[in-house]
Amino acid sequence: MTPALQSRPDVFDTVIVGAGVMGATTALFLARGGQKVALVDREDMFRAASGVNAGTLTLHMTRAQLIPHAIRGREMWLDSATWLGEDVGAIATPGLSMAFTEAEEELLRQRAQVRQDMGAPIEVVSPEEAIQIEPGVNPAIRAAAYCALDGHIPTYRVGAAYARALRQAGVTIIENSPVETITPATGGGYDIRISNRVQPVQGRRIVLSTGAWLEKMLGWLGYNIPIRCLINQLVVTETLPPVMGSVLSIANGLLSLKQFANGSVLIGGGWQGEGNIHQGGTRVIPENLRGNVRLAQYVVPRLDEAQILRVWLGLESETPDAMPLIGALTPDDDAFVVGCVHSGFTSGPYMGRLLAERILGGNPDLSPFDPTRFSSLAATGTRS
Amino acid sequence: MSNPDFSPVTVIGGGIAGTTSAIALARHGLPVTLIDEQPTAGGQIFRAPSPYARQTVPPNHEFSGGDALRHKLTASSVDVRFSTRAWGLSPTLALDLIGPDGIDQLPPSTVVVANGATERFLPFQGWTTPRITGLAGASILMRNGGTLPGQTVVVAGSGPLLFSVAHQVLELGGKVAAIVDAGHRSDWLRLGAMLSLDPARLTQATSWMLRLRKAGIPIHHRAHISAVQETETGLLLNVSEMDHPERRHVYASEAAACGYGLKPSTLITRTAGVQHRHDPVGGYLEPVTDLAGRTCRPDLYVTGDAAGIRGMAVARLRGLITAHAIAQDRSVISGETYETLTRAPLRQLRRLEAVSRRMLPLMNAGSAIPAHLQDETIVCRCERVKAATLRSAIKAGAEDLNQLKAWTRCGMGPCQGRMCEDSARGLLMAVCGKTSEDAGSFTARMPFFPLPLTAVTGTFAYSDIPLPKAAPL
Repeated sequence: MTPALQSRPDVFDTVIVGAGVMGATTALFLARGGQKVALVDREDMFRAASGVNAGTLTLHMTRAQLIPHAIRGREMWLDSATWLGEDVGAIATPGLSMAFTEAEEELLRQRAQVRQDMGAPIEVVSPEEAIQIEPGVNPAIRAAAYCALDGHIPTYRVGAAYARALRQAGVTIIENSPVETITPATGGGYDIRISNRVQPVQGRRIVLSTGAWLEKMLGWLGYNIPIRCLINQLVVTETLPPVMGSVLSIANGLLSLKQFANGSVLIGGGWQGEGNIHQGGTRVIPENLRGNVRLAQYVVPRLDEAQILRVWLGLESETPDAMPLIGALTPDDDAFVVGCVHSGFTSGPYMGRLLAERILGGNPDLSPFDPTRFSSLAATGTRS
Repeated sequence: MSNPDFSPVTVIGGGIAGTTSAIALARHGLPVTLIDEQPTAGGQIFRAPSPYARQTVPPNHEFSGGDALRHKLTASSVDVRFSTRAWGLSPTLALDLIGPDGIDQLPPSTVVVANGATERFLPFQGWTTPRITGLAGASILMRNGGTLPGQTVVVAGSGPLLFSVAHQVLELGGKVAAIVDAGHRSDWLRLGAMLSLDPARLTQATSWMLRLRKAGIPIHHRAHISAVQETETGLLLNVSEMDHPERRHVYASEAAACGYGLKPSTLITRTAGVQHRHDPVGGYLEPVTDLAGRTCRPDLYVTGDAAGIRGMAVARLRGLITAHAIAQDRSVISGETYETLTRAPLRQLRRLEAVSRRMLPLMNAGSAIPAHLQDETIVCRCERVKAATLRSAIKAGAEDLNQLKAWTRCGMGPCQGRMCEDSARGLLMAVCGKTSEDAGSFTARMPFFPLPLTAVTGTFAYSDIPLPKAAPL
């Protein structure tokens, strides 16, 4: 890095593009580590995936290889008062994944086994035991996988807590500022051009944490990684008397069901809606609404008393191998990415903290997430 | 002229505008379906009275006008679907309905949105106490149910509905303790001067005012209810004057009816993605339309008060003109026929619109109230969110309505923000100096109202559920 750039006070040490859980956590720990940090988002912060997802803390649905990270992420959420400065309302509950057919039972045992091997405290229990844990479930279950370490968070509360923590840590928050281009600056670092702003935001290094929008931005840096955008449907009910106390799912992973403290039940699981992130706008597919809600009602029959209050769609991004992208994009260590983490809300804060640790000079093991692993595409981001 | 297009048209809302439009569309030979949540046509103004109300409420224009409209509808070829509500809308304008036979979807068609207006409500300390209703709700209770909200009523808020409701209370033998109006007296006088353009309204207004004056009812202008307490016999209401905060008045009554004018119902038009704008005079969001109700979507028209509040007479004319415009856009009638058919209604419309626009500032006279809400006042009733909570979230950086909703739950409840949106926006504008455009609107989401879960699920077996393939291991 050139001395000229080093001495410019208006240049940020790190500019993070994408103000969701991963970007914001990276920003927070970098700022606490002494860096001058800017956090940029195309909308208000935490309005995309991080603000509207199901808030499930789950080891059942997390990819097996990410279990250790999910366990740490979950611990961070439950301990948010300590490191974020505010209790975001994370609740620890058991999690039950259920099987209703022979094929599902087989899948359930298989998925439980690989997760056990990765350190998840998951065991397969009998229908009787499952009903004892969760009396509200359909007695037609054949088997259930029980995990002591699940839970949930009222997602919408998280953004406010981060906003306060980031401001306290001195992070410059630049909201409603879509980034148009990112280009290497003369003398090192990057120019981040934002719509409706004459001057670019300048950073000695950048972190991309834009979830579904990563494909486009990685393209600017010479990476061609196809990123699939999932459009996940969520359904919330009006408040109900208590009908369940744990987080419920089914063997194939396509249901998440929980009841919040206020009595409303949230139905998710990754049933798809339609939409295009570049043109904007998403829409509910009626058959998928019906399928998702039928599944929920089948699992907890008392949901037949519920009123559907709202349906919405949230985005999730996925790489070709469904594994995260976390780490350096350039040999110069001046461009990084964090994202595409399956069930990323659970592990998100831990992933963000790991990247901050890496940028601050630590050496956490990020090798399984190396963004240059898509080999034919790798190293194109090298700066000349 | 190209080939006429006789594909179906769906009218949402069986009030004056929607029913008039549906009948005229059917006369043009178009296949029309009319959807309304009530068991018969009429909407809010021409709502069919209960048998009890027919006996107790003196004959009036709303009863006779409504009966005539319903009679015409019955004689038409319009396919009616009553007791049916639209709860969702796809981008192609397929309509999700729920009616007496459960849920149903209408395939995409040209849609005429005629779902009218929503009453604007602004909170005050203690407003969630029982026996406080909206003005529109009180009016329906009296006119169509023949029942008083209480033997003595304080009528508060803004706009012409104040005097209509006060008059109805007297008509049913009740007492009006006071009329509390946020508007200037001089605005009313200016409106009165213009009413010569609308003789029907002038006659009605004169008879109301004479009767209210004869009853000796105190009227406070530039005033609002600032707090209410429940007592053993009813309510104790504090009334504050906006320009003289030190002047306070206290009234006791059994009930209070309070509303701050009307705003177009925009959940459906916002979901359909048509362009909207903030009307600074009306103080509300309205879809951008031309005189005939055309929007930026060629398959979606908006008519009646849903296109901007203009009242009953304009709603009828708009409904008629929209129907003719659709017939012309479909090449069912020629441009010349359109001109001939709309000449007289358009002339009338222009005359009446001038009067109607004068009503808007009177309806919007309470716009400064949200800025001064006491910290302890509940703004969002569904989620019990107080003004103090909103103020502190705004100061912490929630500078648009949707971020404010996420951070506080304001607007997340069953009413989907219909009650709290105006006051939350007013607080935002006051605390951080945003314009109403920048403050935004709550994102419209389906279902448009709480929907029984079983209406969606129906009868099914586990094997009927099309389970997607398993998530990656």
